Amino acid sequence: MQEQDSKATSAPCRDLKGRPLLVEAIGITKTFGGFTALDDINLMFKGGEIHCLAGENGSGKSTLVKIISGAYTPDKGSIVINGKSYSALNPAQSMAEGIQVIYQDLALFEHMSVAENIALGRLRENDQRLINWKKVDAIAQAQLERIGVQLDLRQELREASISTKQLVAICRALAMDAKVLFMDEPTTALSGREVDRLLEVMADLKKSGLAVIFISHKLDEVFRIANVVTVFRDGRKIGDFPSGDLNARRLSYYMTGKEISYPKYQRVSTKQESFVEIHGLCKKNMYQDINLSVRPGDIMGCIGLLGSGRTELALSLFGLNPPDGGDIIINGHKTSINSPSAAMEAGIALLPEDRSTEGLFLERSVAVNATAAIIDKLCHGWFKCFDFRRERECARQDICDINIKTTSEQKLAGELSGGNQQKVVLAKWLATKPRLFIMDNPTVGIDIGSKAEIYETAQSLARRDMAVLLLSDEVEELTANCNRIAIFARGRIIEILDEKRLADPHIGSYITKVVAAGRRLDDVVSASADANMQQIATVVTVDAPLRDTKESGVCK
Amino acid sequence: MQIERSEVILLIIIALYALGVAVVNPAFLSIETVFDLVRTSSRDIILVMGLLLIMLSGGIDISFMSMALVGSYCATVIMMRYEFSSVAVLITLACCFGLIMGLFNALLVSWLKLPPFIITLGTMNLFHGLMATLAGTRTYGAGILPPSFNEFGSGYLLEIEGEYGVIGLSVSIIPVALVIVLTWFIIYKTMLGRGIVAIGNSEEAALRLGFRPLWLRLFAYGYIGVLAGLAGSLYICQVNAVYPDKMIGEELMVVAGAVIGGTSISGGKGKIFGAILGIVIIYLLKSTLIFLGLSASWNNLFVGIILVLSLSFTAYQEKMRNQRHLLFKVESR
Repeated sequence: MQEQDSKATSAPCRDLKGRPLLVEAIGITKTFGGFTALDDINLMFKGGEIHCLAGENGSGKSTLVKIISGAYTPDKGSIVINGKSYSALNPAQSMAEGIQVIYQDLALFEHMSVAENIALGRLRENDQRLINWKKVDAIAQAQLERIGVQLDLRQELREASISTKQLVAICRALAMDAKVLFMDEPTTALSGREVDRLLEVMADLKKSGLAVIFISHKLDEVFRIANVVTVFRDGRKIGDFPSGDLNARRLSYYMTGKEISYPKYQRVSTKQESFVEIHGLCKKNMYQDINLSVRPGDIMGCIGLLGSGRTELALSLFGLNPPDGGDIIINGHKTSINSPSAAMEAGIALLPEDRSTEGLFLERSVAVNATAAIIDKLCHGWFKCFDFRRERECARQDICDINIKTTSEQKLAGELSGGNQQKVVLAKWLATKPRLFIMDNPTVGIDIGSKAEIYETAQSLARRDMAVLLLSDEVEELTANCNRIAIFARGRIIEILDEKRLADPHIGSYITKVVAAGRRLDDVVSASADANMQQIATVVTVDAPLRDTKESGVCK
Repeated sequence: MQIERSEVILLIIIALYALGVAVVNPAFLSIETVFDLVRTSSRDIILVMGLLLIMLSGGIDISFMSMALVGSYCATVIMMRYEFSSVAVLITLACCFGLIMGLFNALLVSWLKLPPFIITLGTMNLFHGLMATLAGTRTYGAGILPPSFNEFGSGYLLEIEGEYGVIGLSVSIIPVALVIVLTWFIIYKTMLGRGIVAIGNSEEAALRLGFRPLWLRLFAYGYIGVLAGLAGSLYICQVNAVYPDKMIGEELMVVAGAVIGGTSISGGKGKIFGAILGIVIIYLLKSTLIFLGLSASWNNLFVGIILVLSLSFTAYQEKMRNQRHLLFKVESR
């Protein structure tokens, strides 16, 4: 049975002569206005391969996906699918050739069942006028079996977790007879274990003969799963590399054209009394007995799986999820934080995980966004007149201070790249002069160059005696930026690693293991290996990005 | 088909309320009450089926009462002029007028891309105004209308010997039942219906699967137009008179019924059974005022309370779900 299945699924991915499926882009060029998004791209996707497209935001990889999926028409060049050459595809042709794209927004139907979400596209493609619900279930079940996952077919989709939705989106693409599957940042919203499951599914799809192409900013995933990595920079292809030939450093060099690495943070502050102390904080069903203290100048890392209580605690500190019991002591005073405005008064700021919905007004200008948190201070006099000039000045100051790359402070926030959007959110909160800055996954979906700048910003803030709480799923991000790390599991802090432990070069793998196991481990870390310390520490940022204002025209 | 929790709660509310009324006035618990409810609520149950389909598509239509009035009024005027007398002609003409008006709504909604509430608020007045200027504002009373209207409107499907004479189950249950079955079939058994639900969930996602929103909207808005014609015809037969200004102003009660029944205002979600229960509860409240010895103004109070309660329940469920997924809204204070 098993064997039959795999034959059945791999068969359509070969052409008539039995050669494996091939999608080829030949000399693709695409310009928007005067801007060249893609410049003479030649590329080949093969069945049975996982192909990663790497590149910073705006490097052209999404444009290429849109051309192959038929959403854009190329200016020059052609696409050859199994020997058939197209100078331009429309979405229907692209789908008929078995090309399916899963975008980041997934495009699923929240009020429909899992089964219907999977099967509807296929039935629609077959032009079925009537719905046979048994067939809907059969189609859905068949796809789920193909990827070896069990889901409740009857579940309404909005009740499902994001990882389930991701799997549903994959199944829907398979149901529509996908032979070439593009996935745009599929793992962004997933936790560690869910990522593992998704990568396994992708590996299975590869084995069954599909060409799987994924776009990801997470380099560890790229190395774990990709066979081939194609690097884009500024609309050009830098090259195709077998993933075995690459390491994180070389890949980021190819992507940015610069030698980028993350400086290890060293606490310099002399202040020893805590800014925030948390004693026995608890919230039913979320976290229990949390004890934590953060000093000025600390970058405290927080890591833990989904539901470990990490995010819940951070939201509590910002007044969004008031705790049931325990004390929060700020600057020596017991404080109750039951609303974000109380948190702001106490000197706490939160950089939310989802910047587009929780951090920004995408339809408003950079200036409006950057000053949104201090709008009170921009109003003067009896009638609270709004000072537009000061708004502009503040925004310009921010643009220079943290190097937001924008042509003008009047540009809409939604038009900036992910990294620059994040910087605007940073600027907004920095304007409130916070003393504790909670950053919830600040570099999700952000390219490497901007990542380094955000790290640099966080570190320079901490050097100026700000306390930072850095929530992240990336161990490397934490080990590079934090001087202390708290590991969460099942609503408790199971271990806090101090500077001494973090100096251990193997601490990264130790953290990964503790997070996965959900309990303290004793034997993994070898305390020796002082010599290797340098490996983590030998890192230099090029160009001190905070002072590099050449690229932002406003500052001149 | 599973029954939603909100539907169970509505059933319980209806049962408790009926019990309460029966305690005050035992005469309430009789088959007559049920038959009466079927007859009076028939128009709005037909309308709410059309409204359900519209709301599933992510839109809303508040011009349906206007379409019901305009369709049936114009049909009557034509029938009087050309001396037709069959109810079938009345219904056919009214449905055709309704269809035209519904398609007009659909085109405006698709082209202007404005909120359908505003568009149909406009067309509601437009249709009524056109009718008043072109077809007149005469009232047609019982003496003038063809007798077939009354025969159909007060015909009985089956008769029972009651305490106070003959009581019967109105013939209007037949079109109501047909419309319910047809709507169920469209929503659950056709690709058309699933497409309408799909655009109500996410138009972008539906487009990517190859659905064509324009056609789906034309169908949904056309469907409520046809149903409005039918409901209007039924209504004038039941009251055996045609007024140029009745029905308009009652549309929001039907919208309230749909919402009480769990239909989502933001689209993509709604159940036939729930929508029917929503209308039933409104008519139950209306008809029991007499049994309780209360004036008509209490009706609004009751409907208001039920509407606010059901919305609170939905909002509470949403909040609980968001908390599970760690989404917190800033509480304004």
